[in-house]
Amino acid sequence: MTADEYLYDILASQTLGDDSDEVKTLQRHRADVEKLIRDNFKDTALTVRYAGSKAKGTMNKESYDLDIISYVSSGDNTAGESLEDIYDNHKKALAKEYTVEPKGSALRLKGCNPEDLGVDFHIDVVPGRFTDETQTDAYLYQSDGDKKRLKTNLDVHLDHVRDSCLIDAIRVAKLWRVRNRLPIRTFVLELAVIKLLTDKKKKNLSAQMEHFWTQLRDNSANLTVQDPANPNGNDLSKCLDDNLKSQLAAPAKHTLEQIDSSGWEAVFGKTEKQEKAARVEILRRAAAAATPSRPWLPKA
Amino acid sequence: MTWQHDDPVLYEKEKAEVEAHFPELRFVVENSLVYVRGNFAVMFEEQVLDHYSVELQLPRNHPTGLPVVRETGGRIPRQTDRHIIAADGTACVLLPDERWRLWPVGSPLLEYLTGPLHSFFLGQTMVEEGHSWPFGQWAHGAKGVFQFYREMLKTSDLRVMTTYLDYLAAKKVKGHWLCPCKSGKKLRDCHFDQVKDLREKISRKDAEKSFTTLKAAGTSAIEDPEANPPAPIFQS
Repeated sequence: MTADEYLYDILASQTLGDDSDEVKTLQRHRADVEKLIRDNFKDTALTVRYAGSKAKGTMNKESYDLDIISYVSSGDNTAGESLEDIYDNHKKALAKEYTVEPKGSALRLKGCNPEDLGVDFHIDVVPGRFTDETQTDAYLYQSDGDKKRLKTNLDVHLDHVRDSCLIDAIRVAKLWRVRNRLPIRTFVLELAVIKLLTDKKKKNLSAQMEHFWTQLRDNSANLTVQDPANPNGNDLSKCLDDNLKSQLAAPAKHTLEQIDSSGWEAVFGKTEKQEKAARVEILRRAAAAATPSRPWLPKA
Repeated sequence: MTWQHDDPVLYEKEKAEVEAHFPELRFVVENSLVYVRGNFAVMFEEQVLDHYSVELQLPRNHPTGLPVVRETGGRIPRQTDRHIIAADGTACVLLPDERWRLWPVGSPLLEYLTGPLHSFFLGQTMVEEGHSWPFGQWAHGAKGVFQFYREMLKTSDLRVMTTYLDYLAAKKVKGHWLCPCKSGKKLRDCHFDQVKDLREKISRKDAEKSFTTLKAAGTSAIEDPEANPPAPIFQS
């Protein structure tokens, strides 16, 4: 198995199909959340959509969140006059069914019923308001930080990732982040992958990843990323500070050493195919060594 | 009286051997019956491949009779193709007539657990994971009995088969009887040694049951397109 075959097998095992239980659960949650929001803002012109990895196609089975945006049309004050009001009113509405925890611009939903009390559903609702009638740019309220208003554009974010031709590399990098418990935000990691691999798009996946980790190991101090939807207004330097850069450099170095000394399997473990083949082999050997007996049933 | 009272030394020996080999199995006596309960590990080269919650009910005539086995974890569907009787969850580990080959009368209980029972649960794991039964399986009911005797006696003649079984079930066999092989010779001049050998291996009770089963089924036991047992794919 080549390094690329290995990585694609790993990605295949991380893929959540539309008919998977996980995606069906997410869809059910999304429907519940959307209904709850719409029922509470009946007079409001709302746009409720998937955002995040579900919309970008970068979702991995091992760790995923469901991001749902709920944007109010420009000039519509029925859900709240200010951005903070919209945010708070969404929080109140969602609190009828969930425990809601503010998380930057988002509201994280957790269970509040006795059977699911405190269970993290990994759903983030991001309230906001479109800046104008084109319904493209939007303002978000930021519950933390000095700046309370953030301008963004979901479609620009989605297009930036989807059009990067680096979806597979992003998914591998996200899996690497999870396995190494790195505290880098998904959005920032995606931007870093795209920036570092912009001129490596024609390389195969394993070469891309080796380049990505080499850059993190050797040049992370110089790495900066920009929000493509708001390059001047949204300062991401705090999301990729020197401390985090050094936290990325160390595992990148270790990963490259693992590949060099023990091969790719040392990085992400055996693929499902390899594990299944090993399982079949040991069962086959166990059967070969066992007493050959055939089961029966008294009545046909 | 029960076997554990009749032979407490045997009871302690069986208990010690089984619990030493399978640390998660426990002997329990309830209503004068001995049960072996707990987690049964399917192992290979000291690696646990799988485990099942089980209950073995040892018969009052242990070690002559066969244990009644139940998978108590609810993991194996109570379906005929999994060799579990739907009504009471009893596992059909082996064909009793074949017992002499797998766990001869008088063998330690541990050999039943490490032998046919282990193969049964290893097979369950493999079937659950999408493979065939590693050593094949007997067809259900009379067809399975027919398959077994066809393999052993090398004949598909039902009359020959039932005559053999009649002789195996008889209290005594006489040399002047006609040989069941239809040669027309007397038994003493034909297959007497084979019949004597089989009478030592297969109990009269089991032979009688199989005789009754085949007689009742008649030709329906042989008119089965699946009469050939599936080729074992994992057999050594």
